[in-house]
Amino acid sequence: MGITRRDLLTATAGTAILGSSVIPRIGFGATKTVKIGFLAPLTGEVSAWGLPGLYGCEVLVKNINAAGGVKIGDDTYTLEIASFDDEYLPDKALQGFKKLVSEEDVKFVMMLGGDPWPGVQRFANQSKMLATTLLPSDLSPDTPYLLAPCEVHPIYNVTGVEYLARNFPDAKRAVICAQNDSLGIPSVATYEAAFEAAGIEVVDVNIFDPATTDFAPLVTSLLAKKPDIFCYDTAYADFVNLIAQQLHNQGYKGLQISCTCDNYPQIVEKTSKEFMEGFIFQFPDFDDPMLNEPFINFPEPNKFFADYNAAHPGTWTAVSWEYPSIVLQWIEAAKMAGSIEPMQVLEAMKGKPSWPHIFGEADWWGQDLWGINNALVGKWPVVVIRDGKAVIAEYGDIPAWWAKNKDVMIKRMRDRNQMWDQRA
Amino acid sequence: MDIILQTCVNALVASAFFALMAVGLVLIFGVMGIINFAHGELYMVGAYLVWYFYASQGWPFLAAVLAAFLIVTVIGLLMERTLFRPMRDNPLGGLINSIGLLFILQVLAVQVGGVGLMKNVPPAYRGSLDLLPGVSIGNQRLVALVIAAALLVCIWYFLTRTKVGWALRAVAQDRDAAALQGINIDRISMLAMGLGAGMAGVAGALIAPLTRVEPYMGHGVIITAFIVTIVGGIGSLSGAVLAAVLYAFFHTFVTTYWNGTVATMMGLLIMLVVLIVKPTGIMGTRVSE
Amino acid sequence: MKPSKLALPALFALAVFMVALPFGLKLHQQDFMISLLVWILVVSSYRLMALTGEYSLVHVVLMGAGAYGSALLAKLAGFSVWLAMPCGALVAAGLAAALSFPLFRMSGFYFLIGSFAAGEAIRLSWTYFTVPFGGPKGIKLIPSPELTLPGVGPIAFYEPIPYYYLTLIIVSISLYILYRLENSRIGLTMNAIHWRAPLAESVGVDTWRYRALAFVIASFFAGLAGALFCHYYGTANPSQFDVAAMVYVLIWVIVGGVSRFSGPIVGVVVLSVLNELFREAEQWRPLIYGCILIAAMFYLPDGLIGLPGRIRGWLDARRGAGAMVPGDGSEKPADFASSKQR
Repeated sequence: MGITRRDLLTATAGTAILGSSVIPRIGFGATKTVKIGFLAPLTGEVSAWGLPGLYGCEVLVKNINAAGGVKIGDDTYTLEIASFDDEYLPDKALQGFKKLVSEEDVKFVMMLGGDPWPGVQRFANQSKMLATTLLPSDLSPDTPYLLAPCEVHPIYNVTGVEYLARNFPDAKRAVICAQNDSLGIPSVATYEAAFEAAGIEVVDVNIFDPATTDFAPLVTSLLAKKPDIFCYDTAYADFVNLIAQQLHNQGYKGLQISCTCDNYPQIVEKTSKEFMEGFIFQFPDFDDPMLNEPFINFPEPNKFFADYNAAHPGTWTAVSWEYPSIVLQWIEAAKMAGSIEPMQVLEAMKGKPSWPHIFGEADWWGQDLWGINNALVGKWPVVVIRDGKAVIAEYGDIPAWWAKNKDVMIKRMRDRNQMWDQRA
Repeated sequence: MDIILQTCVNALVASAFFALMAVGLVLIFGVMGIINFAHGELYMVGAYLVWYFYASQGWPFLAAVLAAFLIVTVIGLLMERTLFRPMRDNPLGGLINSIGLLFILQVLAVQVGGVGLMKNVPPAYRGSLDLLPGVSIGNQRLVALVIAAALLVCIWYFLTRTKVGWALRAVAQDRDAAALQGINIDRISMLAMGLGAGMAGVAGALIAPLTRVEPYMGHGVIITAFIVTIVGGIGSLSGAVLAAVLYAFFHTFVTTYWNGTVATMMGLLIMLVVLIVKPTGIMGTRVSE
Repeated sequence: MKPSKLALPALFALAVFMVALPFGLKLHQQDFMISLLVWILVVSSYRLMALTGEYSLVHVVLMGAGAYGSALLAKLAGFSVWLAMPCGALVAAGLAAALSFPLFRMSGFYFLIGSFAAGEAIRLSWTYFTVPFGGPKGIKLIPSPELTLPGVGPIAFYEPIPYYYLTLIIVSISLYILYRLENSRIGLTMNAIHWRAPLAESVGVDTWRYRALAFVIASFFAGLAGALFCHYYGTANPSQFDVAAMVYVLIWVIVGGVSRFSGPIVGVVVLSVLNELFREAEQWRPLIYGCILIAAMFYLPDGLIGLPGRIRGWLDARRGAGAMVPGDGSEKPADFASSKQR
């Protein structure tokens, strides 16, 4: 049932050709197929972090295949996504990982990471399978084949705080709210470090249950501290939406900073342009003209955005482009290796000290925080809402910040039990 | 001081929704003896209907709420007729059927609206009313509060002042005796289920602009509704309302002054204590079988 | 339930089948079998509880208590996994013993919801107290058992096949104990409490004690199942043991049928296998599951174990006059219907 529906949808997605910078157009004999594993929650409450990514990969792969596939070594390959629903459970994830590797014969596995990863770790190492995660907190010295090549959450959040401190030197009191999970807590430590580095005092931190439905009490409690800056931490996009409405209702007028603000047009609609003016976050729209800069490693982002929305209207989130950008990096690495074999691709990727991340060249990094240099860190956009529209204000430089404030960050991570050696 | 008042306002709004959900559950359990696990999903359907009629089709908000009420009521009637009535002598069967329906409704919501971000339901009533300096209530919340309270009053009037209401309560107290009095159990069951479902639908519809409208939104609500139902006493409608208010105030204050997780944990423990001290709930009179 | 003449050979055939099974399976299916065995122990222990007529919603949380207990003892206190696992099970049993004081003041629906509240409170405390429970991420890198056999060398229990056999042995022994218990004097008393509570009390049976005993024993085995689970998958986190998982256990038990020992086992096996078969349906899977549940309640109100009897009934009806067609939902078998008396 699902298959027919998806075929229908992708058929309408258009068959345009991606930029030739990534995919060479081959006019003849594309015969071999390489399978890419997609192991993430596709049903249940966490599926919002998986399903839109699967949609994005399918749109991307469809476009790539329509353009003739990819040439790796001497062969031309068409791509195929093999997906498995891990239901965000470690046991299902291990079953899925084994199935993808031993039966589907995939050449690398994209995962959301988080709770299911510990179930998979041993087998992933044993089978020497290249895997990727969106949550770098899964990285440790025991994960040599796991990469975080796209999202290096939460370290990029420092760029937003740096921008804020530079542009609003009078703002001195910040409050932070964060959901109690593996996204929220390391992010709190990051924001605390970034605020400390910028000379801003954090006057309250409120860690809330992800099952919260009514944010009125939380907002009341935080506004009682009279903040200049309200920091949403890495609250889920929907929480940002609801908290912003509450802030607006309860008359907050100060600065706002967040990791995500995926659906800001909704928030603008529900509050006001004035209320949202100057809202700082980290995820650009994919029709942002600044994404057409030459150093951006994502072919025709604006067109991809349009294709996606045509195929799966109303489901776009940050993961819709994050997983596809990992597919693009893998293609790049496979081409360089001249092979699709996992360890050779990994070697090609890790062999270079820097690597084309979606937002430009980035370094393999992470030793200090995760005990292994398997995360790509470089530039990351600072996005600001101006007159109801999100625009990239600048590309912040994470390594430069790190060089100056490394000690603060490590201390804050340690205080919140987030260093890799502290994780139970 | 203004924080305390603002927290009271927050709690008042929460109590109205808790009460709508809990009273529906109590009606259904009282009359049919079935735990409706799909109650949260009826609430979800109500919210989706408002999203569809109001946000996508451009109906007036109140018309969309009315439509949600009617449609969810009909769903409730169908549930009674097809899923619960055949299981009348098998409460576990009714429970499992409601769980089956829960899965079905969640998948349908995914198919209709997709997953990802919550559905966009802009507020119909913008701005907020300043009650005192530093104490305000959003107009959308105010409208929701007023409608919810009005509905509760109507239900109360219906149950205590009309003949059908009396009959319904009689069935809730003793089904067999009521049947002997010539009360049509089938019709009363349908009425209870329709009303209970309709109230869940209205709760979801009213809260749609204020919360995450997504396929799994019923999950957290049902847990709260169970707590309220138990604390109030399963057979007691006024108990459910009183418990909703108490629980909402307790939870909101602990969340404001401490932490939401602690509030839920303590709420659950208080419920346990109530069950130990007075196993029939604060207002319950029926002894458990 | 008298064992028929066929029982022993059938049991032997089943044993041979279970021993040979992993070699006929694909890699990921071996893991599936380990999980399935663990869940079989969970539902079977749940049945012991259900014998007394009480349905609890805390069982999966107590399974989690076993997992957390065993994992923490092995990781922090340095217990050998062989010792940690039974200790984890004892933690679950101890917790159940403590809970039995408040919970068994209630029965029926009150007990159901009361047990749910207790479970949620325990589960939330795992989320809230980062030390020692690890917060929402739970506990990772839980060691697997170690054993060196003379002449064979160390056994790799992190591999699916050795762990499958370990699980098979432990679960089989546990099931045997549960089965014997059910048919012992204690089990018969428990059953009597379900159907004839006032009578049982009148002849001097302390119903509270037997209810609590069933609860504690059931929780011990649930905890053991949790420990088995976490030492293979290497992780335990609060969301694994949430109410969604509990609802699945309830479904397996009821759809399988509570009237016989094999009922819940049949339920978990059939429904889990069906669920895997429908993987292709992706996002539609829960909907299919929901339809199966409802269909089962209508056509098999006495559970899946009633299916052979039903089929016989259908065949007889077809052969005979066909006047009575069972399975139209109007029929209510005595044993299941009376569960409302709880």
